[in-house]
Amino acid sequence: MSTNPILKISKVSRTFGAIQALKEANFEINEGEIMGLVGENGAGKSTLVKIISGFDPGFKGSYQINGKEVKFETPSQAEESGIAIAQQELSLIPNMSVAENIFLTGAKVKKFATLNTLAKMARPYLDEVGLTEVDPTTRINLLSVGEQHLVEVARLISREAKILILDEPTAALGEAESRRILEMVERLAANGKSIIYVSHRLDEIFKITKRITILRDGVSQGIQETKDIDVNKLVEIMLGRELANMFPSKADHISDDPKLEVKELWPDGVLEPVSFSAYKGEILGLSGQLGSGAGEVLASIAGALQSRSGSLTLNGETFLPKSPSHAIKKKIAYCSSDRKKDGLFLGRPIFENLTSPALGAISKYGFNFGSSEDNYSRNLAKEFLIDVKRMHDESGLLSGGNQQKVALGKWLSIKPDVLLVNEPTRGVDVGAKSEIYQRMRELAARGITIIFASTDIQEITYLPDRVITFYRGMMIDEHRLEKIKTPLILKEITDPFNETNL
Amino acid sequence: MSAIIENNQLPFSAKFLQFYKDRTLLAILLSLFAVMFIYGIFFTENYLTITNFKAIIRDAALYGIMAIGLTFVTLSGNFFLLSLKETASICGVTFAMGMATGFGSPDLAGNFLVSLLAALAVGVVSGVIQGYFVGMGGNPIVVTLGGAGILYGIGAWWSDNLVINFTRPHDAEWLGTGSFLGLPSITWSFILIAIAAEIVLRHTNFGRKVYLVGANKAAGKATGHENFSMAIIVFTICSVCCAFVAVAFVAQMDSAQSNYFSAEFGSSGDMTILVIATVMVGGNSIMGGYGSTLRTSLGAIFIAMVDNMMVLQGFNSGPRIVGVGLMIVFSIIVFGLFAKGSRAQE
Repeated sequence: MSTNPILKISKVSRTFGAIQALKEANFEINEGEIMGLVGENGAGKSTLVKIISGFDPGFKGSYQINGKEVKFETPSQAEESGIAIAQQELSLIPNMSVAENIFLTGAKVKKFATLNTLAKMARPYLDEVGLTEVDPTTRINLLSVGEQHLVEVARLISREAKILILDEPTAALGEAESRRILEMVERLAANGKSIIYVSHRLDEIFKITKRITILRDGVSQGIQETKDIDVNKLVEIMLGRELANMFPSKADHISDDPKLEVKELWPDGVLEPVSFSAYKGEILGLSGQLGSGAGEVLASIAGALQSRSGSLTLNGETFLPKSPSHAIKKKIAYCSSDRKKDGLFLGRPIFENLTSPALGAISKYGFNFGSSEDNYSRNLAKEFLIDVKRMHDESGLLSGGNQQKVALGKWLSIKPDVLLVNEPTRGVDVGAKSEIYQRMRELAARGITIIFASTDIQEITYLPDRVITFYRGMMIDEHRLEKIKTPLILKEITDPFNETNL
Repeated sequence: MSAIIENNQLPFSAKFLQFYKDRTLLAILLSLFAVMFIYGIFFTENYLTITNFKAIIRDAALYGIMAIGLTFVTLSGNFFLLSLKETASICGVTFAMGMATGFGSPDLAGNFLVSLLAALAVGVVSGVIQGYFVGMGGNPIVVTLGGAGILYGIGAWWSDNLVINFTRPHDAEWLGTGSFLGLPSITWSFILIAIAAEIVLRHTNFGRKVYLVGANKAAGKATGHENFSMAIIVFTICSVCCAFVAVAFVAQMDSAQSNYFSAEFGSSGDMTILVIATVMVGGNSIMGGYGSTLRTSLGAIFIAMVDNMMVLQGFNSGPRIVGVGLMIVFSIIVFGLFAKGSRAQE
């Protein structure tokens, strides 16, 4: 491997107003290398990626390509230097053909070109990314999401990109499709392309990269040789502390008094009906990758997703929630994974958000005068460590962590028996994460049954008392307390039937 | 509470600035009021008279009441009820039919209460049906445009496009032309409805739900507040407001015809445009979740003031309608510039 890095970034910093997104980041990549880029949400990964790909010219520091100092004002200038990025959200046009999408910008194409000419021109690029069997005249929306990702990369290669940035290419993909992406990455690297691989999936990072750059709080933590470190070490560098210290200790034992019994629940996206129990005062984790069905099960317990069959038994009553309001009446609270979509009223004040599920509790005969709402929402805010001075601010002005606290905290207003949380800490900084975990544990200790679904493997390993694993719409296994081990869970949610031999 | 306490500790100038920052739109509206008022005093004859101001509020009352009803629809995120004048039209025809013929039974002819209830009932039915379809997921524009055609058509068909007259003295005079303590009945109605609407929005669970559902339908559903029942209730409120205005207007004219609210109404022509203008000029968010009926009421008075000034300056109806149109455009621009900028970026 050449010793001169093709791209080198040193001492780069970037501030947005009062927020310092990057403090001191160093980064380099050699020709034909796969470099992993990892870090927590908010560690500065996306800022660094934007700087490299020319989307963000407003940084301080040195940026060299082949030893020469460069300054990109626009993404297209970066592209001329051979740097291209495949974003998480694809930029393909769904009802145009594969070939047309590859040559969308029209560079390199004659003024008049038939679809057949384009198809012939597209062939070598498709072969290079491993889409040998795909006809270039097929419309994009007939391809799977994984194949679309490959087309996107083919498009970048067609513009002679030397350095490819792949931002979470497998986030929305199942295992087989992810494998195609990884194969493509390795093939491209063998052909001499340099690849910056950004991913939350640590197993992938370990599989394909030679070296890893770790970002923490906007500072790069030095480049690690992949073969020299293991997952625990990597996570420790990422978080800056022992993983276990972030999480509250688990319960001493699990009560054998089932609070919620789920029988034969069968929502869309799940292959077969699922049954399980949740005990009083425990935290139960549903673990699985995107599309595994864990989130769907949670949503259907809350009535947010219709179930084809089944029933719930809670407090001696057997029912199947038809709507969220039905579930709320039965004291089941559900905090969805997308707080901006259906978790918060962003344009309304915090106190209105906090009391929104329990308007009956703050009013008499439907009228709401006086200070009862004020007191009620203040108590909730105090319980969830939300700044009471900001109660009248719009919730949209809060940081991600505080928004999540409001989205979760509002459910205490209905005094729930069961609290369902999908992705409790998505897009939340480390500090708020730790607070949220602490709160969840305290609520469980008070006797609330908490069920959460998460794709975050650390969360699943260290937070819950019991874990149920899901894979492609099937329930795989259950683990308790000290039997919860990261490698075993990873295996069960990615490859329980030994189908892959990577 | 905390905000109030903190504000009390600030010096007056800071409080004044805070007020401007928090309520940019309201502040702009109030400033425009002041500008208009001063211009009126110095450059318009007969402006600063009690009679003129009574006339302004009386004008504002008719479309103000309808606009208060429409505010509920807009705040709840259901956009607009576009069948405003058609709802008023069929309710007006119903009321006049009741007053003139008693719906076929001569005993009931001229019975105010029966006619009023019949008109309001028509409003309720049309509101519930349109609200039902919107609540089921129909696009409010398409549903209420369709509703507009049907309502207007039925009214015209039923009345054979004729003017329905009923002669004075009749039992509805007190509402049409009567007055109490020097103010016309319709003005009193406007004041009472405006106060009631503001209390409902600020201090009832229903009012809170209107704002929450308007701010985010999906989050509303997740917290147990579905837009289905919300749409039915707000469209019914709006339609009943239209029915009430129609009754008052018909009682004033002693007659009704199905196109009263398209061409003959007031001074500025089309009722629907005027009412939507009122909601917009008040600075309510078209997307819902932000605004109040107080703003709408002020918007109604503002439009009436502008119209009144143009009348006194000798403009005829053409330029005055242009004025209303300009006010809609202006309010949308101001809203886009100020209200959005101060709110959280999503």
